[in-house]
Amino acid sequence: MSKQKVVGLLAEFPHPGALLKAAEKMREAGFQDYDCHSPFPIHGMDQAMGEKRSPLGWMVGILAFIGFTAGMTLEWWTSAVDYPLVISGKPFFSYPAYGPVAFAFMVIFGAFTAVLGMSVLNKLPRFHHPVFYSDRFAKASDDGFFVSVENTDPQFDTEKTRVFLEEIGGQHVELLLETDEEQALENE
Amino acid sequence: MLDNTPLVLGNETFSSITDHISSITERKAPKQWYLLLALASSLALVLFGMIGYLFWEGTGIWGIQNPVGWGWAIVNFVFWVGIGHAGTLISAILFLLRQKWRTSINRFAEAMTLFAVLAAGIFPAIHVGRVWVVYYMFPLPNQMQMWPNFRSPLLWDVFAVGTYFTVSLLFWFTGLVPDLATYRDRAKTKIKKMVFGILSLGWRGGNRQWKHYEMTYLLLAGLSTPLVLSVHSVVSTDFATSVIPGWHTTIFPPYFVAGAIFSGFAMVMTLAIIARKIYGLEHLITMKHLDNMNKIILLTGMIVGFSYGMEFFIAWYSGNPYEQFAFVNRAFGPYAWAYWIMVSCNVLIPQLFWSRKIRRSIPAMFIISIFVNIGMWFERFVIVVTSLSRDFLPSAWDYFTPTIYDIGMFIGSFGLFFTLFLLFVRFLPMISMSEVKGVLPQADPHYYDHEHDTRKGGQHV
Amino acid sequence: MKFDSQTYRVETDNQLGFKILIAGIAALLLSAIGYFTHSKQFFFSYLVAYTFWVSIGLGGLFFVMLSHLTGTVWGIVLRRIIESIMMALPVMAIFFIPLIFGFHDLYHWSHAEAVAEDPLLQSKAPYLNVPFFIIRTGIYFGIWYLLARKLYALSLQQDEQPTNEQIVKMRRVSGPGMVLFAVTTAFASFDWIMSLDAHWYSTIFGVYFFAGSFLGALSFLVIVSAWLHNKDILTGTITIEHYHDLGRLIFAFVIFWGYMAFSQFFLIWYANIPEETIWYQHRWTGSWNIISLFLVIGNFLIPFVLLMPRAIKRNRNKMFVLAIWILVTHWVDLFWLITPNLHHHGAHFSWMDLTLFVGMGGIFVSLFWKYLTKGALVPVKDPKLQESIQFSNA
Repeated sequence: MSKQKVVGLLAEFPHPGALLKAAEKMREAGFQDYDCHSPFPIHGMDQAMGEKRSPLGWMVGILAFIGFTAGMTLEWWTSAVDYPLVISGKPFFSYPAYGPVAFAFMVIFGAFTAVLGMSVLNKLPRFHHPVFYSDRFAKASDDGFFVSVENTDPQFDTEKTRVFLEEIGGQHVELLLETDEEQALENE
Repeated sequence: MLDNTPLVLGNETFSSITDHISSITERKAPKQWYLLLALASSLALVLFGMIGYLFWEGTGIWGIQNPVGWGWAIVNFVFWVGIGHAGTLISAILFLLRQKWRTSINRFAEAMTLFAVLAAGIFPAIHVGRVWVVYYMFPLPNQMQMWPNFRSPLLWDVFAVGTYFTVSLLFWFTGLVPDLATYRDRAKTKIKKMVFGILSLGWRGGNRQWKHYEMTYLLLAGLSTPLVLSVHSVVSTDFATSVIPGWHTTIFPPYFVAGAIFSGFAMVMTLAIIARKIYGLEHLITMKHLDNMNKIILLTGMIVGFSYGMEFFIAWYSGNPYEQFAFVNRAFGPYAWAYWIMVSCNVLIPQLFWSRKIRRSIPAMFIISIFVNIGMWFERFVIVVTSLSRDFLPSAWDYFTPTIYDIGMFIGSFGLFFTLFLLFVRFLPMISMSEVKGVLPQADPHYYDHEHDTRKGGQHV
Repeated sequence: MKFDSQTYRVETDNQLGFKILIAGIAALLLSAIGYFTHSKQFFFSYLVAYTFWVSIGLGGLFFVMLSHLTGTVWGIVLRRIIESIMMALPVMAIFFIPLIFGFHDLYHWSHAEAVAEDPLLQSKAPYLNVPFFIIRTGIYFGIWYLLARKLYALSLQQDEQPTNEQIVKMRRVSGPGMVLFAVTTAFASFDWIMSLDAHWYSTIFGVYFFAGSFLGALSFLVIVSAWLHNKDILTGTITIEHYHDLGRLIFAFVIFWGYMAFSQFFLIWYANIPEETIWYQHRWTGSWNIISLFLVIGNFLIPFVLLMPRAIKRNRNKMFVLAIWILVTHWVDLFWLITPNLHHHGAHFSWMDLTLFVGMGGIFVSLFWKYLTKGALVPVKDPKLQESIQFSNA
């Protein structure tokens, strides 16, 4: 048998209410590298975990503005600078007529920022993660509510944390084990 | 009438929702599905065959002539783009308005949007004639060193519809990610595990992910809302920026948008009624959902009716003989039949929805939704053809007659739309599981605060 | 003024309403001097003030019907305030009477000699003539009065004996009421404002007017709520969450207004048909272009940018300032629609613009105050009132 290494702990909770309370306790206990998994977003979970608001709004706002400017600039440069043509008696730089395309640029920049920004902030796609070592974890996308703690947490201690998770009402607390082979594969 | 009926009927639990929706794609498809797919895909083949012939022969195979240079291709384009508006409306605007009933219908309305926009996009692309230089529409350096004409509404269309498709796709995919993770976790075969695993991006459902995810969803909704209004507004400028009587009128942008939502909801209705029947989704797409959609159909139908009336009144009020003629000609000229089909289907028939009984009768709403679909096609026909067929020179007046290719391509576009839709229903979750779970009473963490705690606590599998 | 948080009533000797009323009447009397010195200016200023206060009332009527139709919960705590705005509307019919004497100064189409030599005006004469014009205004106010009275009566009835029936009835009235509202508002704006330039026409004009009206009513609502809060009234009832939603609604309608304004301008600018562009030409001549730009920036860009982030929507004082700003720009919007027909060559403000605004406003606001303080400040027996108070955006 190959050697196994504990990379985290996983505890299941019976329902969203219990998960919310568990999250509060995790935060109060000072854990950092933990997460609460649920099949749908739970109302009030951000406060319970002490999460800040996502910065995506600002990112999208700024990029959308850049998109608008880029669209306008493109239209201005192609129609008024590079190859000016008189069309239906309109000025070369017909800014009202350039609105729709500049708007489209704005939206597309904003939308891509929103989606790519989320994937960067969430570090997705990531197909390999300690929680996937658990078989029970498949329930997290169905009707399971879990708290996971990773061993990177400064407070992490396999035994103490396990006891703590059970104290706050966790069920089926299990170790997330990584085998050597996998580690070796990773290191390659 | 104090409507407190829950959004999801029956004793649904989180896992029963997962089971119910996932099993649709996991078990064998019903026979009707194969039949419908065979029918739809053969119609789609007709479309592609005819497009091939069009490329070979040219746009002369259509019924277009002078003065009607825009025939069914543009009518179909506007028709399909319009249908495509309901999806984003449901996913974005109703989301911002916190209309939670949207969760049962948004997924397949969004899918419908994508396929409708795809069907729409074909027509302007092929109607340009020389398809091989279609890249002239994009601001790419080309051999003539010229740029697209950014002052042309037709070019705005390219950008508006292109953006709309892209953003709708992003929105749809973002919404799908948590459900794809469910499919990944339920997958039995290795291939399914791989495919859904990759598509779900390794989603873990952690709150740190949900936080950004929800923000993304909100932002996409915020971006899509003005976008959905702008797309049909831009389509309306194809007509309204011109000086053609009957086309140039300032109410066109909001009027087109209302019409688009109207037709889109009618199409969602048609599909929803069929889908809930075949797949037994009556407890998820409840009478309340259908009732609400009927109310929106009534509302947007009234806005469309208001616009017809305004146009007519202002045409008279303007004192401009050309304007006046255009409208009298619509109602009493050679295309009066089309005009009155439009008025009856779009304005008169939806009035039946004032009655709660009719709003809650499946056969009635099904028939009315079909009428609205028909009426909205005729609306675009009336706009495009009547104004063109009577232009400024009476010597050039003519009557437009479609050819077999006009008709074939229109029917074929339905084939394409339904083929894609059937494939979607077969392979992807047609109702958003994570969102429906989120509106269940059990999803509220405070549901467990009191006596519920022990009684309904855990979700037993 | 004492507020009883149990019954939601204020005890007041109505000093305040009386003072506002007196201020209004004084301002009107002062304006009357203007009538004798410069009657044309008087009537144009009068029309701006008149359409302004009518539009606030119309926005209120719309909001009441909208809440009933959509069954929104968060708006219930605000309903009585909105209903009082709505109830001040029908009385504005009285202020139409002086306008009748100003037709000659305001409306070119009412000059018999002008119609005689203008075929366009002749073709419009079946619609644009003085008797029919007055009858139409009568019909508009008749409809608004009936709708407002019915909705208000039902709402008060609910305070006495709450049954589900009232809610059902309010919804039943609001459905057809919306249809009537849309048609009458559009035609009222055609009559009162668009026909000032009788040659010009735009199908979207009614919707444009409506967009501004609703914005105005929402801002008025924010101002009233924030003012009440300052007086320690309804402090725990209208919470910051409600401001947040009002802010979102204002944001949406700022965009809607911009969308309508752009649609109208853009299509006319692009098609470039002289008989239509002349209207914008007038509004781009001389100092009018500053007013036009001010509208784009003031009524669209500034509120749009400020309301985009969460922070301002959740700050009562900032919302209060912003609402005043939007009311000002809404007034400028109407000024911009109406006054270029008098001063073709450049914007010109008159002292009567101010006094008539204050005068009519005094009457409007004192009426509003009278209705508001008559009973409870919220629909106390609405089954969803508690839910509305506890409403949260999260």
